[in-house]
Amino acid sequence: MNRVESRTPRFVVLGAALGVLFLGLPILGLMKRVAWSSLWSQLTDAATLEALRISLYASVCATAIALVLGLPLAWVLARMQLKTRRIIRALILLPMVLPPVVGGVALLGAYGKSNGLLGGVLGDFFGIQLTYSLWGVVIAEAFVALPFLVLALEGGLRAIDTKYEESAAVMGAGDYSRFRLVVLPLLRPSLAAGLLLAWARALGEFGATITFAGNIQGRTQTTPLAVYSMLESNPEGAYALSFLLVAVCVGVLIGLRDRWISGGTQ
Amino acid sequence: MIAMHGTIVNGSFEKSFDLEVGSEIVGVVGANGTGKTSLLRTIAGLHCLSSGELTINNEISDSPAHGIFVKPESRHIGMVFQVHSLFPFLSAIENVAFPLISRGQSRGNAKKRAGEYLEQFGVSNVSSQLAKTLSGGQSQRVAIARALIGNPQAVLLDEPLSAIDEESRSVVRATIRERLLALGVSALIVSHDIEDVRQMCTRIENYTR
Repeated sequence: MNRVESRTPRFVVLGAALGVLFLGLPILGLMKRVAWSSLWSQLTDAATLEALRISLYASVCATAIALVLGLPLAWVLARMQLKTRRIIRALILLPMVLPPVVGGVALLGAYGKSNGLLGGVLGDFFGIQLTYSLWGVVIAEAFVALPFLVLALEGGLRAIDTKYEESAAVMGAGDYSRFRLVVLPLLRPSLAAGLLLAWARALGEFGATITFAGNIQGRTQTTPLAVYSMLESNPEGAYALSFLLVAVCVGVLIGLRDRWISGGTQ
Repeated sequence: MIAMHGTIVNGSFEKSFDLEVGSEIVGVVGANGTGKTSLLRTIAGLHCLSSGELTINNEISDSPAHGIFVKPESRHIGMVFQVHSLFPFLSAIENVAFPLISRGQSRGNAKKRAGEYLEQFGVSNVSSQLAKTLSGGQSQRVAIARALIGNPQAVLLDEPLSAIDEESRSVVRATIRERLLALGVSALIVSHDIEDVRQMCTRIENYTR
């Protein structure tokens, strides 16, 4: 790097500082409103614990669903020469850019009890009702979390040099063995990054969940929904829970380090 | 026994081969772009013949006219790639044990045999080191050991000594020749170094464009 390249213009530094302030101020504001003396009692309140339990259960299940569906999707996008690849990718990324409430409305259109494309079949033949149920929360969270996992895995799969799979094939490893013994270990950093991102997204899901599964305390009320409900009735509790979510997200980002930014290859 | 009478097409590259290799070590020499690596990749099953036929031990492995293509994992070949592709996340010994494990041997047994092969190629001191931490020469020795373990039906070595230093080259050449003769299989060695070929091989094939 020469001397000109290494010198950063002042307006860039100023812009970056404003950016940090813009992003950091709300977090500071949140921290200021947290009642630290009653934080523990707020977080261990029965309703809060219930919301946390639902959030944890639903987000883990949603991440598992995202993994089962996301890995084959990422493989198709990264490795198959399909004419419809752009359309498939656009469809997969849609929940990332769609307003979550619209995602929830779309889920109602698909799995809604009375008018959903599949909702009636699920109810009549299998006795399954997704709307306003815990599994509805799981589906809503999986819907918004899936793209994060697919993107991370697709990047990871593209970064794997095919020479490893070729040499494994020559050494007698069939399709499944190559995947298990070679691809999965090489994919591990991207998989970890994708799972963490998907889980964090599922944990923070709000719009699709409240639209599709409702906000029923003890059944479908997740932590973000509890924060929303508590804002008027118990602001201290809302700030305590918000602080917890921020702490979890910061933990996830620290865990990710540079993996997401560098394309999942580190 | 390897017999290949056919044409390889790879992009703009096209070349016909008439090659028969018995229980011998054949050195393949020639300038860059004469299809030496493509030849080895086709025998290994990583590239298809465009026309003609390839047989390994009298069984057809590739015959476009008859719609026959035996997958690489079913050809039972030992191979060193030009860019030796040790698995970076495995140790040296786990890399050498890989062909045995992928063909169903127990890990303990495979690692025991892998240890013996590492010893023969003078790299037993790095057996527990991750492959990504090995030097070029050490990686190449481990790759050769991995190609020769597991009694392959044929052995293909693409520039196997390119990263081996001059002092230890003759020892590695002698070990490769000794192991290949003991296996008694068809072996093809591609090398730019004519001395490598002379010392390891029993016959030389010279390819021109």
